[in-house]
Amino acid sequence: MVKIEFHDPSGSLEVTTPHAPRLQTLEGKRIGFVSNEQWQAYRMLPLLKEMLEADFPGVQVLPLDSFPQGNTLIPTEETAALVRKSGADAVIVGNAA
Amino acid sequence: MKNAVSGLGLAPDAAMVTFPIELFLPGSDISPVRARKREFYDGLTRWKSDFAQAAPGAKPLLSVEGASYEEALFRANNLMLTSLWGDGLPLWPATRERVDWILQGSTLPRDHRLGRFPPLGGITTVETCAIALAMAGGRPEYLPVLVAAVDACLDKEAGFDQLQATSGGPFPAVIVNGPIRKQIRVNSGFGCLGPDPQRPAGASIGRALRLLQQNVGGALPGTGTMAIYGAMRYTNAVFGEDEESLPDGWLPHGTERHGYTPGTNSISVVFASGVTNIRRRGAKKETPEEDVLNGLHRMADFMRAPNLAVLAGYEKGTPGIMIIPPVVAQTMAGQGWTKGSVREFLWQHSKIPAEQLRRIGGRAWIEIDANPVTRESIDLDPWPICTRPDNIVFLVAGGSHPTHSQWLQAHSPSVTGRVVTLPESFERLLADADRDLGCGDDVCRV
Repeated sequence: MVKIEFHDPSGSLEVTTPHAPRLQTLEGKRIGFVSNEQWQAYRMLPLLKEMLEADFPGVQVLPLDSFPQGNTLIPTEETAALVRKSGADAVIVGNAA
Repeated sequence: MKNAVSGLGLAPDAAMVTFPIELFLPGSDISPVRARKREFYDGLTRWKSDFAQAAPGAKPLLSVEGASYEEALFRANNLMLTSLWGDGLPLWPATRERVDWILQGSTLPRDHRLGRFPPLGGITTVETCAIALAMAGGRPEYLPVLVAAVDACLDKEAGFDQLQATSGGPFPAVIVNGPIRKQIRVNSGFGCLGPDPQRPAGASIGRALRLLQQNVGGALPGTGTMAIYGAMRYTNAVFGEDEESLPDGWLPHGTERHGYTPGTNSISVVFASGVTNIRRRGAKKETPEEDVLNGLHRMADFMRAPNLAVLAGYEKGTPGIMIIPPVVAQTMAGQGWTKGSVREFLWQHSKIPAEQLRRIGGRAWIEIDANPVTRESIDLDPWPICTRPDNIVFLVAGGSHPTHSQWLQAHSPSVTGRVVTLPESFERLLADADRDLGCGDDVCRV
C-alpha cells in the first residue's frame, strides 16, 4: 500500500470573546436594534418592535434609529460603545442576505 | 453571518433567524417574520453556542492509502474535495516534504502569525500560506509574493471581511513590481491575466490565495461568500507591470501609488469585480493622434458605466485598473502623454451625468454610503467615479500589440501595497527553478 500524509489546510479558529449571556426574560427589558437599513429592514424591524412591545409587559424597545446604521458603521467600536451607553439589555442586528 | 461572528473572535455560531431570500426583496410578504417571532425571542433568551474550542497546537496530518500512488493521490483529492478544501481542479496534497520545501522561500518562522483571515477568522501563519501554495502547485520562490499579498489583504484598511462575503464577488488583483516579477516568472506580457506555462507563478500564487480565502477565510460559495457569479476566482489575478517597457518618465505603479523606490520588489492589491476587454485601436485611416484620442475616449466610456461597485473605493481606493499594452504606451508617450495626464483624461471623461445617475437609481446608493465624502458628492454633475484622478490605477502590461486595453473595474476600499522581502537563499531557489523549468523567462520556447 502507498500512503500519503498531508496537512489540513483549514487553519484554526480561536475564540477570544464569549457570546453575550442570554436574558432570563424579555419582560421589563430594554431592547435595541442595530440595522444596516438594507434587505427590507425598514419593514421587518418595525414589525419586530411592534411584536416585542405587544408580547412582553414593560419592555422598552428603543427607536430603530438609536444607533448608527449601514453596513460600514454597525460593526464599529463606536457603535458598540453607543449600544453600551444606551443601557440596552439586548440588541437585534439585521438584515443580512 | 456565522463567518462574520467567528471573525470577531466569537464562537462560530450565532443566534440567527433565517428566511428564504424572497423575504428580503422589495414588496415581499413579511408575514413569516410574525409567524416565527418565537425564534427571535428565543435567540435573546434561550440560545446557547454549540461550539467546542479545539485544543491548541498543530493539527495532525491527514492520511490516505491506495494500492498505488495514483490511487492514493486520487483518494487524497477526493478527501480534499469532500472536506470542502478544493476548487474542482487537481490539487497537490500538502505533504510535509512539499510544505517544508516551499517554506525555504520564507524570511519568517513558519509559525509567524499574519493575522485572522476574514470573515471566518482562521489563524493565518506563514505555514498556512505554504500549505495553500503547496496545494496550488507552487514553488518556494513564489512564497514571498504570496505572503506579502496575504498580509496586504489582511490589512485593516482593506475591508477584506466584507469583500470576501459580498454578493458582488470581488477578487484580489495582485500587481507585482520590481525584478522579482521576471525572476519568479510572473507574467506581464501576452496573456498576463491568464494561464502561461512559461510564466506559471501568477496562477499558483493566485490559486493559493484563493484557497486561503476559502479554506481559512471561510469563503465557500453560497454560504461564506455570497458572490453570485464568482468570476476570476480560480486563480484571482496575479500579474506584473511591464516596467522594462515603460516610456521614459513613466514610473512603475509601486512607486506612483505606494512611494516605493523604482526597482523595489513589491505587490499592490486591488479588489476587482470584473475584467473587460476594450477594442482600443482604430480601424481605418486615423492619424496617430486620433488613434490615441479615440482609444482614450473608448476607455473612459467603459469606466463611465454606472456600476456602483466603484463607491467602495470612492475616496481612498480605486474605481479600477486600466491596463494598456507597451506599444500603445510608447506611442502615447511620443505624443507627450504621461501616466498622470492619461489618468486626468480618464477621470474627466468618465464622469457620469446626473441625469444618468438618477435614471439608474444611483443616487440612493450614494445617499446610503457610509463615507461622508461619497455622500457629499451626490450633487456633482457630472459625477466623478472617484474623488481624484490619482485614484485610478493605470498600468502598462500585456502583449505588445496595439488593439486592446483592459479594464478591471474595482470594488476596492483601498489599494494596499507591501514590499516583498526575500530569503537569503533566493538566488539558489531561482537556480533550482531554472533547473526544473528551464532557463529564464526571456527565452520563449514557442
